[in-house]
Amino acid sequence: MSLIIVLAQASSQGSQNGAALAFSYIFYIFFIALLALSFFPGVQQKTQIMFLSRDVEQKLQMIENYLKDSKSITEKLLKEKGFPDPKAFLDRVIDRFVIDPVSIEPTDIINRMKLLMRSNEDTVREMIMSANPNLDPMTRSQIEISAEVVNALNLIFKVIRHYLIMAKKLNSIMIMYQLQMVAPIYVKYAEAYSKAQKVFLQGIPIGDGLGPLVASKFLMKSSQKFTVSKDTIAGTLEFEGRKLVVVKAEGPMATVGTPGEGVQNVIEREGGKVSRIITVDAALKLEGEETGTIAEGMGVAMGDPGPEKIAIERVAVKYGIPIDAVIVKMSMEEAITEMRKEVYQAADKVIDYVKRIILERTKPGSTVVLVGVGNTAGIAQ
Amino acid sequence: MAISADSKQVLKVKTVVKCMQCDYTQERDFQVGDFVLKLVGNCPKDNGPLYIAGIYAETLNQKK
Ligand SMILES: [Zn+2]
Repeated sequence: MSLIIVLAQASSQGSQNGAALAFSYIFYIFFIALLALSFFPGVQQKTQIMFLSRDVEQKLQMIENYLKDSKSITEKLLKEKGFPDPKAFLDRVIDRFVIDPVSIEPTDIINRMKLLMRSNEDTVREMIMSANPNLDPMTRSQIEISAEVVNALNLIFKVIRHYLIMAKKLNSIMIMYQLQMVAPIYVKYAEAYSKAQKVFLQGIPIGDGLGPLVASKFLMKSSQKFTVSKDTIAGTLEFEGRKLVVVKAEGPMATVGTPGEGVQNVIEREGGKVSRIITVDAALKLEGEETGTIAEGMGVAMGDPGPEKIAIERVAVKYGIPIDAVIVKMSMEEAITEMRKEVYQAADKVIDYVKRIILERTKPGSTVVLVGVGNTAGIAQ
Repeated sequence: MAISADSKQVLKVKTVVKCMQCDYTQERDFQVGDFVLKLVGNCPKDNGPLYIAGIYAETLNQKK
């Protein structure tokens, strides 16, 4: 249609000099050629790939900026803490990986997984401590977290870059479309990780610290506290005639501890005479749900790849102990950055929930184990 | 699952200080070195030990 209008307008202008006429002819030819070209198969797709890849490249650039930012923060931290060669240390941890255990032979996957994960943590810790043996636990945990953040950002960056290059090489619009769909999500993840690192370095409790916060409010009243497993602490107190054993990661270092093994040890120590296990954790909300809303249910509330969670389930099965779960909802970013006021206020409500569960579901004289699951950065006991 | 927090939030981190013996409560800006259950001096009311009861972030630009 537009072509006809242009032609009509040109003819109505009538007599013009030769040069202008030639120019308008060239213009029409160019215009018609462009129109014809766009109907050729392939051309449209090429231009579409071009636009899509530009969009993805821009997203990739954002992820790379977060990665660079996080690397320079970590390097600065290492330099401050007396690491002889921060760059070399960073190069060693940036591409560190843990290989999943074999899963086609499904016996004992958990133990193999636990071994791999634990020894990886221990190895990184040893690497840090050998670079500077005089580090305090707080700084050490901050360096561990920083290394994890750099590692995660590096992985996101490299995977997105991999698919972008592959889509370009194969000229595949389908890969490009998928990439363009997921890239914004990964930019958000990268942004959240980068924010989280800054929060951890200041020692501010994060949203995921909800569980440890609830536990610490109970442990305040406990006079005897003891270490039950790696980075994990427990304390006993009396509540309405029940013996309450509270387990949480040892703060205020940035660690999630080993709550599963901790609970297992506590219950074995009690000879299995425990009438209830109550787990408290932060949980991811769905879009549209309010931050700080509380829900209760059954099972182990824990965002763990497996070993810690199964330790509680196994000991519970062994002695026939029901497991209650109380969760507080928040977004992924809220879980790994500063604890929001709504979450902080939810902690007191969770304590009421826990107290009600104990009063309703256990008898005086029984023993109850309460676990505050989550990262205990900035929360002592 | 919800990934990010709603809108571009400007956060202000606060520390809540409480007394172990009475109902004295004070809120101040967060300082590096603060952590929950850290003892931070004595209560001006009854000289009881003060502790940090919580650290949280408030959104400044809420349009409600
Ligand atoms: Zn007081």
